[in-house]
Amino acid sequence: MDMNNHNTVEKDELTGEKLLSGHEYDNIRELDNNLPKWWVWLFIITIVYAVIYIFVFDVIRVAPYQQEEWKKEMVAAGSLAPGQPAPVASASLVALTDKVSLDAGKDIWLKQCKVCHLEGGQGLVGPNLTDNFSIHGCGYADVVKVITIGVPEKGMISWKTQLTDDQIMKVASFVMTLKGTNPPNPKAPQGEPCK
Amino acid sequence: MENQTFYYDNKIVRNFAYATLFWGVIGMVVGLLLALQFIWPALSFGIPYTTFGRIRPIHTNAVIFAFVGNGMFTGIYYSLQRLCKARMFSDLLSKINFWGWQFIIVCAALTFAFGITTGKEYAELEWPIDILVAVIWLVFGANMIGTIIKRRTQHIYVAIWFYIATFVTITILHVTNSIEIPVTFFKSYPVYAGVQDALVQWWYGHNAVAFFLTTPFLGLMYYFLPKAANRPIYSYRLSIVHFWALIFLYIWAGPHHLLYSALPNWAQSLGVVFSVMLIAPSWGGMVNGLLTLRGAWDRVREDPVLKFMVVAVTAYGMSTFEGPMMSTKTVNAISHFTDWTVGHAHIGALGWNGFLTFAVLYYLLPKMFQTQLYSKKVANMHFWIATLGIIFYAVPLYWGAITQASMWKEFTAAGFLKYPNFLETVTQLRPMYATRALGGGLYIIGILLGVYNLIMTVKAGTFVPEEAASAPALVKRSASREQGEGIHRWLERRPVQFILFALIAILIGGLIEIVPLYLVKTNIPTIASVKPYTPLELQGRDIYVREGCYTCHSQQVRPFRSETERYGEYAKAGEYIYDHPFQWGSKRNGPDLSREGVVNGRQYKPNSWHYNHMLNPQRLNEQSIMPVYKWLISDDLDISTTAKKIRVMQLFGVPYPEGYDKIANDDLMKQARGIAYDLKSQGIQVEPGKEIIAMIAYLQRLGKDVHAAGNPTATISGK
Repeated sequence: MDMNNHNTVEKDELTGEKLLSGHEYDNIRELDNNLPKWWVWLFIITIVYAVIYIFVFDVIRVAPYQQEEWKKEMVAAGSLAPGQPAPVASASLVALTDKVSLDAGKDIWLKQCKVCHLEGGQGLVGPNLTDNFSIHGCGYADVVKVITIGVPEKGMISWKTQLTDDQIMKVASFVMTLKGTNPPNPKAPQGEPCK
Repeated sequence: MENQTFYYDNKIVRNFAYATLFWGVIGMVVGLLLALQFIWPALSFGIPYTTFGRIRPIHTNAVIFAFVGNGMFTGIYYSLQRLCKARMFSDLLSKINFWGWQFIIVCAALTFAFGITTGKEYAELEWPIDILVAVIWLVFGANMIGTIIKRRTQHIYVAIWFYIATFVTITILHVTNSIEIPVTFFKSYPVYAGVQDALVQWWYGHNAVAFFLTTPFLGLMYYFLPKAANRPIYSYRLSIVHFWALIFLYIWAGPHHLLYSALPNWAQSLGVVFSVMLIAPSWGGMVNGLLTLRGAWDRVREDPVLKFMVVAVTAYGMSTFEGPMMSTKTVNAISHFTDWTVGHAHIGALGWNGFLTFAVLYYLLPKMFQTQLYSKKVANMHFWIATLGIIFYAVPLYWGAITQASMWKEFTAAGFLKYPNFLETVTQLRPMYATRALGGGLYIIGILLGVYNLIMTVKAGTFVPEEAASAPALVKRSASREQGEGIHRWLERRPVQFILFALIAILIGGLIEIVPLYLVKTNIPTIASVKPYTPLELQGRDIYVREGCYTCHSQQVRPFRSETERYGEYAKAGEYIYDHPFQWGSKRNGPDLSREGVVNGRQYKPNSWHYNHMLNPQRLNEQSIMPVYKWLISDDLDISTTAKKIRVMQLFGVPYPEGYDKIANDDLMKQARGIAYDLKSQGIQVEPGKEIIAMIAYLQRLGKDVHAAGNPTATISGK
């Protein structure tokens, strides 16, 4: 029976702690221990944290919401990274030919370009860059221009937000070396023949 | 008082135990196949039924609802009878519960393989099966409550409190999250859209973890741990406080799955603070479990049952600390969308649920078969191999997650993303994925040893289908509180009131979070340029859902510079208002797709790229782990459903003109011919009636509307 019978307090043999009388379920007994102090404090601290958090973020609004965080991040980045200089494409540009630049260009090619032009430049989604035809001009400056501003309606995106001018010049220089390499399974020529 | 004799139904317990083992092996083997597909995408075998997006729901549902679900029923059917000193209320209901549940599992596995899915994580079942789940679940509840009502004990023990909370809450969660309007027998749309759908779904998803994987297992712990250790529960008072705190607080925490998403900030804040407040109530269970073992630790070394329990409870303590940490915005900004979440989930599933399930099986099968466990040595081998398996599973995923998140966020000195190609961040993780598969493999070896050990145990023993027991009949006591009786002690002998109080405790949080999203318009500001999907895009979207693309791709750009630079405009609540269901996803094994169709965007690909990519992703990049989707190219799009789909959308208030359903297919074919024509100009011959055309149409639509509204990203970043 579940009465507070103080005369017959049962104790756990091993710990000497008080067993609750009447608390027996399929031979499972329960001890009358208090909540562990550290546990109570842990609970209180998290509750205090919650109250302060809601107060700071949602009541007095002194901590930034995510949209404000983003603005701050963008402003900070804008002041750190100077804007792109004027477009690099001009007819006087000359392709780089040193090995270091071409290797760097190839690196970019393998990461960014081959998913449309395939590894050897033979073309699949994008045009074949190894033959003697071109849609948007055959010169180095033309290639730089296409990479920089893109041909969005054809699926060639502008890379100026993802590559620096320096990187664009390197990858364009690498593209110039593809010409005449005759990789297997080339895409049919597109555009005008180069002079 | 004269003793009454009655019989425990052991047969139902045994059947559930066998089902647990059977589905456990199947669910985990499918998981291993998925893990291997990360290393060898060819293991999708180029057919729909074995491709990642379709079998991932088979794995998650099999482990949660088939393995853990049957394990839960095993333990509840065993302990409830003994705690109530009564046979189950109805043998018929027990049988319906058992066979109904197994039937549901078979239906689930088949429908997912066939691409019949609602596209909502852990709630993928289509509407006829949803109804079946509700019915069988109510059968279980009726059987349980019936047993409690006709019990011979005065009070209900803490284990039963947890069983009650489980039943009540899962009923509410499942029904609320599954409200959907059928289009056909195998296809429905949820009534909720976009942000609302996301909130309801993660309120469900998070609390399925809470009330399907946690509360029933805490109940099992409260019965089997003191039984196996033969020690009294450490603190009755702690049981009360942590039980009520846990069920009240848990229900609020769902929005932590949607931090930095388009969900309103106030709802995110609630998700954060309620998750943090959950640490102590969760740990209450761990503390009460571990301190109950005081004086029995010498036996923990000897007894496999206790050993499994200790690791289970420790894993529970670890995940319930890790979870709240992942729910803070600081950690979430790193962990979300990475495999950290997957590692976290597996500490819970493999450690807490898996180990406790086997502890229960190692405990009750020998008892019901009047024998000893066949081999302690094999059980110890299972224990060590599985423990090692968990470590090999989780550690590489954590490592990989931090690696990948860092790569996503890294900028060069010039202010460009250091790894603009998403694939680089995946390729980097391959060794981690391989180690994870090894960990999963080890865990399965452990499970197989466990199955072997239990089969040998059963063979050696003699089953007692009807176990005789006796207890005095229940003495009728006053309905109101007696003198000196504590209020909780009173509640423990009034199960109906107990159920009502539990119901109130779990309803409060859900109502406060979900209702304002429907009533307060400012929560989802409208964007004028956001228009309904065209019929072709809608059909394409349904293919996207069918193939489970959301299991690897998100549609939710977070407001971080690293994401707006990579993908484009961050997600706005107003852009998803026609998304039934939402498809935000929860991890990124592939890139986010929500800005895929923005022509001037960073993610844009032409139609011919999508065609080639679905046909053979590895041709475009041999490192890609994207599966092949060549059947989209050969299969005809089923347009017989278009009119019905439009009408259901109109029912939800999607503003298609009156009578549009009748001409929708004309528009569909017109748009399809345009795409086919464009592909032809690229040298690709494909009929406009193929599924791939609809899929491309949908992908090319993604993000277009919100970018048409203007592009603040560009003005602020100065690019």
